[in-house]
Amino acid sequence: MSKFRPAGAAALALFAAFALSAPAEAAKRDNSLRFAYDQVPENVDPYFNNVRIGVIIGQHVWDTLIYRDPKTNEYKGQLATAWRWTNDKTLEVDLRQGIKFHNGEEFDADDVVYTLNFVSDPANKSVTQQNVNWIAKAEKLEKYKVRINLKRTFPAAIEYLAGPIAIHPNEYYTKVGPKGMNEKPVGTGPYRVVEHVPGKHLRLERNPDYFKASPKPQPTIAKVDIRFIPDRQTQVAEMLSGGLDFIMNVAPDQAAQMKAVPNLAVMSGETMRIVFLQMASSEKTPVAAFRDARVRKAINHAIDRQAMVKNLVGEGARVLNTVCFPSQFGCTDEGATVYPYDPAKAKSLLAEAGLAGGFDVDLYSYRERNQAEAMVGYLRAVGIRANLRFLQYAAFRDQLRGGTAAFAHQTWGSFSVNDVSASTPVFFKFEDDDVTRDAEVRDLLEKGDGSVDPAARKAAYREALAKIAERAYTVPLYSLTTFYVMANELAFTAYPDELPRFWETRWK
Amino acid sequence: MLGFAVRRIALALAVALAVSAASFILLRLSGDVATAIAGEGARAEDIAFVRKAYGLDRPLVVQYAEWLSNTLRGDFGTSLYFKTEVIGLVADKLPVTLVLGLASILFALAVSLPLGILAALHPNTWIDRLCLALAVLGQALPNFFFALCLILLFSITLRWLPVSGTGTWQHFVMPTLALGYYVAPAFMRLVRAGMIETLAADYVRTARASGLSPASVVFKHALRNALIPVVALAAVQLGFLLGGSIVVETIFALDGLGYLAYQSITYKDFPTTQAVVLLLSVVYIFLTLAADLVNAWLDPRLRVA
Amino acid sequence: MDAALPSRSSVLRSRILGHAGLMTGLVLLAAALVCAIFAPLLSPHDPYFQDLSARLVPPVWHPRGDWLHPLGTDNLGRDYLSRTIYGARVSLLIGLSVMVVSGLIGTAMGLAAGYFGGRTDMVVSFVVTARLAMPVVLVALAVVALVGGSLVVVIAVLGLLKWDRFAVVMRAATQQARAQDYVAAAKATGASTFRVLLGEVLPNILPQLVVVATLEMASAILLEAALSFLGLGVQPPLPSWGLMVSEAKAYMFFSFWMIAIPGTALGLLVLAINLVGDGIRDVAAPEGRA
Repeated sequence: MSKFRPAGAAALALFAAFALSAPAEAAKRDNSLRFAYDQVPENVDPYFNNVRIGVIIGQHVWDTLIYRDPKTNEYKGQLATAWRWTNDKTLEVDLRQGIKFHNGEEFDADDVVYTLNFVSDPANKSVTQQNVNWIAKAEKLEKYKVRINLKRTFPAAIEYLAGPIAIHPNEYYTKVGPKGMNEKPVGTGPYRVVEHVPGKHLRLERNPDYFKASPKPQPTIAKVDIRFIPDRQTQVAEMLSGGLDFIMNVAPDQAAQMKAVPNLAVMSGETMRIVFLQMASSEKTPVAAFRDARVRKAINHAIDRQAMVKNLVGEGARVLNTVCFPSQFGCTDEGATVYPYDPAKAKSLLAEAGLAGGFDVDLYSYRERNQAEAMVGYLRAVGIRANLRFLQYAAFRDQLRGGTAAFAHQTWGSFSVNDVSASTPVFFKFEDDDVTRDAEVRDLLEKGDGSVDPAARKAAYREALAKIAERAYTVPLYSLTTFYVMANELAFTAYPDELPRFWETRWK
Repeated sequence: MLGFAVRRIALALAVALAVSAASFILLRLSGDVATAIAGEGARAEDIAFVRKAYGLDRPLVVQYAEWLSNTLRGDFGTSLYFKTEVIGLVADKLPVTLVLGLASILFALAVSLPLGILAALHPNTWIDRLCLALAVLGQALPNFFFALCLILLFSITLRWLPVSGTGTWQHFVMPTLALGYYVAPAFMRLVRAGMIETLAADYVRTARASGLSPASVVFKHALRNALIPVVALAAVQLGFLLGGSIVVETIFALDGLGYLAYQSITYKDFPTTQAVVLLLSVVYIFLTLAADLVNAWLDPRLRVA
Repeated sequence: MDAALPSRSSVLRSRILGHAGLMTGLVLLAAALVCAIFAPLLSPHDPYFQDLSARLVPPVWHPRGDWLHPLGTDNLGRDYLSRTIYGARVSLLIGLSVMVVSGLIGTAMGLAAGYFGGRTDMVVSFVVTARLAMPVVLVALAVVALVGGSLVVVIAVLGLLKWDRFAVVMRAATQQARAQDYVAAAKATGASTFRVLLGEVLPNILPQLVVVATLEMASAILLEAALSFLGLGVQPPLPSWGLMVSEAKAYMFFSFWMIAIPGTALGLLVLAINLVGDGIRDVAAPEGRA
């Protein structure tokens, strides 16, 4: 067995010696960037995929009406110049003039009206319904002015208009539809698509006519080549051998190891994705033990969240005490019960609940398997014999919603929407993912979602979050960190929304 | 002969039908396609909507009948994930996998023929044992482990070969090695066994006794006869390789049929998975049918199946 | 065959002892079996005990290694030696169970087809041909992906899919055995079909059965490793070698020992099983057609 080690050591020494790689140099010289991602978007049209790479491509090829500055979280006009609420359910937007799509089509109110009405009509089968289902109808007022009518009061509308809602060219979109948009994407964004081979790669080129007034800075990198490489180890190997310039979502251990490689730089950033354990405690739960608050509290005490953050999750992540991301409007852990790591207390709570001998339970998980495995280890230490069931996301959710799973290692990215209405209510407002069904909590959340008064919203959310913590409905764990590995001559900035912005990236 | 051919072809068609039905039902029973299409965060009504829109709420038999009749008309449906014609996707990926499969077979033959002959010429000596050990060792390592070791050596340490992609012929070197070494042992055993048998056969002994040079005996007489089963095995192995390339194509991000199959499985893209399974089955059935017919034509005693 | 019994068995014994491959295989296999059976006694630590503050400790021959964890620890700080020893259990369990499940199905089909012939043979041959035409890796992957991987699912799926070689070989062997005198003799004494099959036919085709069984066991262990590699095999914290290899692959470019240890164990086990299979074939058919 030992004979393998020298081979590994020799390999390390050798690639350190060859570290100044020729390919990365070449990429720098022709001012291009080679990026790889593991998932393939089913369609690059932003309304017809629900993967992160789709969001990344969407922001490079298209623009949105409003732009949220990632540094200050301030809203700025992008395709819009100004917007105002005429009442709770009506938004008027003034549009910017003189912008052209990549195919030469002129941007005006027709494009906005067509896009919003097309994607919010369920018959058109957009797969991101939750991003657009608050839109009742968009109307053209003037050539550069539109009105958006809402189905219900929805204070977070601006956040959505600044995020996933990209604007398509109406003439082209009418002609080719989402399928044609996938084959030859056309937007107004800082990069235009030169070639798209579905499932294989996407080549982007700097848009030379990108409008100067955009809050996105003018791009400097001339070409961005996005490849789809399913295996993480292959991506790492490509970085080590100079075949790529940028990868993301690198596991913390690999990122730490790659820090030692001379021509690579590692950057980490907290993301909006939160991690928590769901315990089905409604009447329909398949695990009766979860009906007992003492059992749920015992589980809260059993897991060493600090140690997990320090050793497994990585720098930048933080321990959470409520089920929302701290920067989201309305999210707070003020007044929320905190359950410190205390295995002895966990055991005594279990004994009090009549489960001194522990119990068997399946823990369902769909990502970060090593973290789930660590929790299984912690639970075993207090006598809870947890078995890991690692599934694809769709199957995972089916089992949870269908009531076969009661215990889930859940994560939620809130679609990068910086408002608590996009996180906590998903799991506590009696919708499909609610396995708790506490009417008191629901009413408080409804109050928070529906009010227009910011102070009233905050108060309602605070109370709801405190109730959830006090009754130990979940085990809030931590936020996730994402690690980027890149050629060290790349000037890159990471933001919590996990969205690399190549338009502001450049070679040093 | 004609009667045999007709019966054999009818059997092949029946097998193809049975396989398509079995895999259709197996895949459908294992999971809910509608949930997969709806994606993360979809509500129950979204899923119900998808189920209806895609016709997934009808009885399985009806769905199978519809799929079969469409398939027979050359319509493999639309990929649930990529939203394009499945037939186009498959046609795009097939060449890569074919190149990889053929290259691997050729590589396996290039390794196993000399080794098999060498072993057969010196049976039960250390040469034979060494060749056999190589064969057994080849079968013992998981091929993904072998593939990753190749990357470590050729791409990271030596920097001779690109890690992943399909751009140039260099991209195919490591995948070919990784896939080919896995089938080489089977060929080697077959060549060795065939050679030992034919070398002991009367006509070879006669040829030897009549003073022909050893090389001429080995290559002209023995090898030719030992090769027939190898060619048959190669045809069958090619069918297996097309399906077995899934791990290798995933590691090297080769955009072939195996990679497409892996993607379609992870995204629960039912029509695509089904089409790939059917295609691989049909290729296998066709290759065995061809082998059977050729053998029967060569040897009339076999025309009884 | 007609030789007196004592000399026949002593010939067999010397053949077995003289066969280097078979002996190597048997020794390795015995070692794996000992690990599997006596895992709790042999392991220095609890293979499930995790210590996040002692993660990724290198093995003892490494400058940073120590004797507390002779083979180091994994990414959750669990003792690697203990997990490797327990891993023998899971890998052998998978190999044996799949072999038994597929062996029962395949042998039953092969026996029936070979012994009864006629319509039974036609039906069985059809089912076997159809099964052979199915790309097994792909179908296994798809089913496991949809149902969710676990020890039982992996064994069931592989067992239910991999009986083809048993059926083919058993069918041919039974056809040959059926024609032998002793079968006719047994039939003449009025023994039931079942008795003839189990009492007369099966023992005579046993060598072929054992060879196929070893091949299938080795291939099941490798297939489980491949499923684990794609994230669809048995579930952690169960320590299967396939799973350990696939978890360690993330560390292979930097901590090669992590993948080399379970990889070597897995390779040696499969090698041992193959050697035993080859050896049995040689010993049973000494005329030497490997």
